[in-house]
Amino acid sequence: MSDLLLDVQGLETQFRTPDGIVHAVNGVSFGLKEGETLGVVGESGCGKSVTMLSVLRLIASPPGKVVAGKAFYRGQDLLQMSDEEIRHIRGAQMAMIFQDPMTSLNPVMTIGRQLIEPLMLHLGMNKDQANARAAELLEMVGIPHASERLSDYPHQYSGGMRQRVMIAMALSCNPQILIADEPTTALDVTIQAQIIELVKRLRDELGMAIIWITHDLGIVAGLAQRVLVMYGGFIIEESQVIDLYANPSHPYTIGLLGSLPRLDEIERQRLFSIEGMPPVLYNKPTACPFAPRCKWVMDRCWQENPALTEVSPEHRVACWVDVKTGKAR
Amino acid sequence: MTTYIIRRLLLVPFLLMGVTILIFGMLQFLSPVERSALYVRDFPKNEKALDAIIKRYGLDRPMYEQYWRWLVGVVDVATGERSGGILFGDLGYSRTSSQPVIDLILSRFPNTLDLTIWAVAPVILVGIWLGVQAAVHQNGIIDQAARIFSIIGTSFPTFVFGLLMLMIFYANLGWFEPGRLADEYMRVVNSDAFRHYTSLITFDALLNGRFDIFIDALRHMFLPILTLSYISWATFLRVTRSSMLETLRMEYVTTARAKGLPERDVIFKHAQPNAMIPVVTLAGGSVVGLLGGVVITETVYNYPGIGAAAAKAATTLDVVTMLGFALFNGIILIVANLVVDILYATVDPRVRLS
Repeated sequence: MSDLLLDVQGLETQFRTPDGIVHAVNGVSFGLKEGETLGVVGESGCGKSVTMLSVLRLIASPPGKVVAGKAFYRGQDLLQMSDEEIRHIRGAQMAMIFQDPMTSLNPVMTIGRQLIEPLMLHLGMNKDQANARAAELLEMVGIPHASERLSDYPHQYSGGMRQRVMIAMALSCNPQILIADEPTTALDVTIQAQIIELVKRLRDELGMAIIWITHDLGIVAGLAQRVLVMYGGFIIEESQVIDLYANPSHPYTIGLLGSLPRLDEIERQRLFSIEGMPPVLYNKPTACPFAPRCKWVMDRCWQENPALTEVSPEHRVACWVDVKTGKAR
Repeated sequence: MTTYIIRRLLLVPFLLMGVTILIFGMLQFLSPVERSALYVRDFPKNEKALDAIIKRYGLDRPMYEQYWRWLVGVVDVATGERSGGILFGDLGYSRTSSQPVIDLILSRFPNTLDLTIWAVAPVILVGIWLGVQAAVHQNGIIDQAARIFSIIGTSFPTFVFGLLMLMIFYANLGWFEPGRLADEYMRVVNSDAFRHYTSLITFDALLNGRFDIFIDALRHMFLPILTLSYISWATFLRVTRSSMLETLRMEYVTTARAKGLPERDVIFKHAQPNAMIPVVTLAGGSVVGLLGGVVITETVYNYPGIGAAAAKAATTLDVVTMLGFALFNGIILIVANLVVDILYATVDPRVRLS
């Protein structure tokens, strides 16, 4: 047994569509240590969210299906559990917050009722205890006059406040893992910063591990200890956060970092972008999925899909090219 | 919530006035002689007497004066008797049924109400339940069956479906008869021994402890109920199904699952209340549809309700009776919409607070 809190091995998820089977996640393996913050980055449609939803078995089936892999949480495979067993993990051990706070709360239920549900379900509180705790939770995420606002409906809250409610709800049962699926994407920049500060503070207070999905490398730099870069349903680079920014080793990661606007730029330049679009994979790729967009591309890239290999301690990359020399590894 | 209801209630008098003005406007298409049916029972044969009536009830006066008289009626100076006046419940005299229009409506409406109550209950309960089941088990057996069932329901014209049912279940099998009650039971109902608590025969039969009459009434109502409810049933099912399917894809449903709620709670506590919002809107519209459908259904099954009476009045050009029914339907619609508005606010907090 490893010391990993969450250990995902060879996860594969597919979606049945009218155009064929889409291979959304293609053998993803990663681990999460207790109390660690893991950033997952990549463009839209590269399989970040689907990976995490698959782990919690929240993929709508049909059309989605987890076809292979294991996901061990404290030694138990989440993917082999009964529906009843996984329900006791969801919300209680692993909680999730979503991208759009405007749609992730139920519009016809009061905030209070939505908050007390997991408390009564997982912690066995009665209604009064749960209501009192719900008010504390709202207080904790910085909503003023919390006890009065329990009877309000989501549309009476602003976007930033709704995301705070989502965070309060997710943390209500002291989960070991918080999965945050682009929780700041739909918010404006000042609110984004507040939400990130809030999550950092709560992480220090409560000590949960976090998986933070985002396409914003700037957020990851300030928040995560380790980063996974995903592309086309594969993990293509995995590293400690400092090492990733100092020595990005996959052409895609270099492209992502290059397309960040910088404040310390001396000359005004056109913002760099990676040409092309991420692929939709109808067949399991036999070549490197990034090859069509890569400027280091070689013959081998079209013939074999590279596996993750260690390039330096705790830094693994899936690429045939050593970008420092421009030659094959 | 209370302020919302009060605001809605304040609108009602204005809507009622709108309806009366509209109906009164239609009355203006009649000749003064025809309009005299609003006030007198028999048309005098000679012209002099006719002129006297027109003068007396002001049928040649300007419109606003006539409207006022139509609302409050005309009081005979000598006898102090009032004739006409819809505010006092006098909607004129129905030539086709030889009684005041209001009496006709009041004697027929309980029958229609009886029918609609028994038709609406299965529509709402089973239609919504099946719609939810069909959505939850999308493309499953219930879903497929419900889809076929609802396509047949929505595409069958009422009169064709009604006649078909009559042919199979009455003409061929003899299970269900048209009409209201068997003759011997009708005699019991009309006798003094039978107490009329609600005027609705099925409920009165139960309250009088006459279970045999209750069964006979239901037996007569079975085919009209089936005809009336099948079509709305199918519509409710389809709307519930598609609304539920859409709701199940919403992010808050994923949130509910991510909280670890049992699937039963996810569907019935989180998804269904949201999916009901368009269904409530539909319910308002289907009251109109039901009233329209009642005309055909009651005629096909020779059921003595308000729809059959209206159809008879329409085919014999009894305009005063027709407009009486129109006014009555207008009032029912306003009440139905009020109920829907209040229901709407109870299912959707965004409505009552804005």
